Amino acid sequence: MPATTKTNFQLVSNGILNDNPIFRLALSMCPAVGISTTVMNGIMLGIAVLFVQVFSSCTIALIKDYIHPRIRIPTYTLTIATWVTVIDLVLAAYMPAAYKEMGIFVKLIVAFAIITMRLEVFACKNSVPSSFWDGIGMGLGFMAGMVVIGFVRELLGMGTILGHDVLGFRPLLFFVLPAAGFFCVGIMMAMFNYMELVYNRKKRAKER
Amino acid sequence: MKEIIRITIGLTVTCLVAALLMGSVFIVTDKAKKHNEHVNVQRAMLGLLGYTKGHPAPSDLRLYTIYRYIIEDGAIRTLGYMLPVVRGEQGGYQLVVIDLDGQFVNRFKLNITPEKVSEASERASALKVVLKPPKIFVYSDSTIVAKLGKKRLAYLLPGKFPGFKTFIDVMLAIDPSFKIIGLEIMEQEEDPGLGAEINQDYFKNQFKGKSFEKIKKINVTKEPLPEEYKKYLETKKGKEFPLPKGVVDTIRSKYQDKDIYALTGATISSQAVTNGVKNMIRKFAYRINRLDSVISRQHIPVAF
Amino acid sequence: MKILGRKFIFLNILVIISLFLIGGCKPEHRFVKKTAFKDTNKIVIEFAGPVDEAWAKNRSNYTACEKPDPDIRLKIIDVSLSADKKKATLVFADDLNKNQPHVVTATKISSEGKSLGTAILNVKKFYLGYLFSILIGAMIINNFVFTKYLGLCVFFGVSQKKSTAVGMGITFTLVIVASAMMSWFIYQFVLRPYRLDFLQIVVFIGLVSLSVQAVDTILRKVNPLLFKAFGVYLVLVIANCIIIAVPLILADNEYNAWESLMLSLGAGLGFLIALFLMSSVRERLELANVPPTYRGLPIAFVLAGLFALSFLGFSGMSIF
Repeated sequence: MPATTKTNFQLVSNGILNDNPIFRLALSMCPAVGISTTVMNGIMLGIAVLFVQVFSSCTIALIKDYIHPRIRIPTYTLTIATWVTVIDLVLAAYMPAAYKEMGIFVKLIVAFAIITMRLEVFACKNSVPSSFWDGIGMGLGFMAGMVVIGFVRELLGMGTILGHDVLGFRPLLFFVLPAAGFFCVGIMMAMFNYMELVYNRKKRAKER
Repeated sequence: MKEIIRITIGLTVTCLVAALLMGSVFIVTDKAKKHNEHVNVQRAMLGLLGYTKGHPAPSDLRLYTIYRYIIEDGAIRTLGYMLPVVRGEQGGYQLVVIDLDGQFVNRFKLNITPEKVSEASERASALKVVLKPPKIFVYSDSTIVAKLGKKRLAYLLPGKFPGFKTFIDVMLAIDPSFKIIGLEIMEQEEDPGLGAEINQDYFKNQFKGKSFEKIKKINVTKEPLPEEYKKYLETKKGKEFPLPKGVVDTIRSKYQDKDIYALTGATISSQAVTNGVKNMIRKFAYRINRLDSVISRQHIPVAF
Repeated sequence: MKILGRKFIFLNILVIISLFLIGGCKPEHRFVKKTAFKDTNKIVIEFAGPVDEAWAKNRSNYTACEKPDPDIRLKIIDVSLSADKKKATLVFADDLNKNQPHVVTATKISSEGKSLGTAILNVKKFYLGYLFSILIGAMIINNFVFTKYLGLCVFFGVSQKKSTAVGMGITFTLVIVASAMMSWFIYQFVLRPYRLDFLQIVVFIGLVSLSVQAVDTILRKVNPLLFKAFGVYLVLVIANCIIIAVPLILADNEYNAWESLMLSLGAGLGFLIALFLMSSVRERLELANVPPTYRGLPIAFVLAGLFALSFLGFSGMSIF
């Protein structure tokens, strides 16, 4: 089994930047469009995903030697579903307001491709600590993506950030409308592509 | 063969561990969830009556809940009210049955404590003792009576009606003359930015202070919300008024008897809330008058 | 083939049981054939034979109320009788709330001088119409992709070509109907009675994997040609959040078997429609000159946003 040679810091930054689940891998887009109307929603769902990702990664890394290869996928699914149920129950009990806001999406973490993918690609081949840091990186990367989209939509749509009035007026109601999530994500992706393009061009110019 | 056994054992163990984990978390969180829900509703109710953290409710404020059931005995339908009675005389609750024309039919003592009465299953089992089959009873709604000292302060009506997309869940506070004290939206799934604006102060507070006579005929107008009125509606209680006191009074009297100003782009949601509130108050006023007359004629020692 | 046959028998039994559960929509009196809402403020009662005009036109012979509020009578301002004296139309002062079943009591129905007793009549909306409205609702008005933003990963992944889009849509519809019906059954008859609701996520995802596996096996044995065409998409079905969202919605809303069938069918067909629309545009997009930074996913997202905006126009529409 090829264990990773990266340091913990590299593992975390990899999840946030190079392999950002939302902008780079384009996985788990549903919440990024559906409930990214406020920064708070992004943080809450980000915490839920972080929790599920870290605990599932650790669980799989811990029992990887005992999993029969033929029932690998069902085991992953069962592990994720268990941790999603746990976080769902906890959120419903202790943070009812935020839970109501996120609606069905907490339960839908179970179908997020990003978590299964990390288990398959990383956790089943690496030790518990590096799986832990990888999970943290992926969770934070997801949260960062959600917060960035939420920030733009909340600021432009309602003129507030984290519920505090910043602008004092509402610039574009359009951004709060559910459909605007698609535009936001699409335009941001294009912006990231553009930055990459410019960066690469400069790099090439330097090399010459 | 050996492999299959290994797989089965592995899966069974995993399932067992997972089930154990989920079960224990459920047991731990279930109580907290129920408690938090109760606290939330309580806070919403007190908030509607104007009691907040900075301005706590007086110690002699009591909230009593009345539960209404529809009782079917073959083709005959009657209403059953579960009323809290004064402690001392066995305490607890009594069931008062009233026919559809408002005439008293029967009354029963119920064996249920005030602590358990908020559980639907506990109420059902207490009612089953006095309403034997073939009588069927169906829960219909509940009303909370707020009593301050010896006089009724307000009625709190939880209600649910269809909105633009799904259901809108509200809590309405009205005083004994059926004037609206406040409206709180408990749950809704309208479009964010459009229908979901019913949750904003400048919409909810429009209902505040509308009299029963006005509310019976209230309508929704599509005129734009005047700027000064919006400012007035958005000032929160407890905070300092950004508007001078005299201005507040003139604005209040100016818009007191106006219709509800619809939200821009969400006329149907506004209409739904207005009609829902109108119907809730009309039905409630009709029923509570009948119930009160039965209570006074039968000398039922009600707590509220 | 045998497995398929058994499944059909099982489905048939389910259908029959649910028919009993729903109950008949017929009024309870032998002399009354039909009751129905008409316009905004009318209720029509159809009798089996001619009734006496003096009785039928007397407003005080009828009382009407909404089912949950039997003590609050609705005000009847007029009753009219058709020429053959078989149809009475009650006109109410206010508009009726048709979402609520109504109860009309006709006291001492009198026909050709004979009294036929009192009838208590339930007036409901046409049930098939209601089912149809659930189907259309899930398919277009509350389209899962464009108004609820679910299933996006698969949606963007397979909407590049029309043929793959249709293949995926059909496979998905099959699997979602099978798994949603199983989930509904298990939830109603196992999880809820034993208060095991908190296990719903695990159970539902398990059932989804199971039905994917079942469809895979059946298709492979019964029709290898079809399997070759659609087998690829089966793996993708599990990664689609809609397939787990539908059972959760069914559990929350306490739908009965028919309504669940309609909702899951609508969800599947809605996904098919979304995929088809998107793939048609994306095929055209291949020929267009898109700025390099927008190529691929970004422009697809903007497109989906335009679709979502236009689907917002359906929002809140009601049929029947």
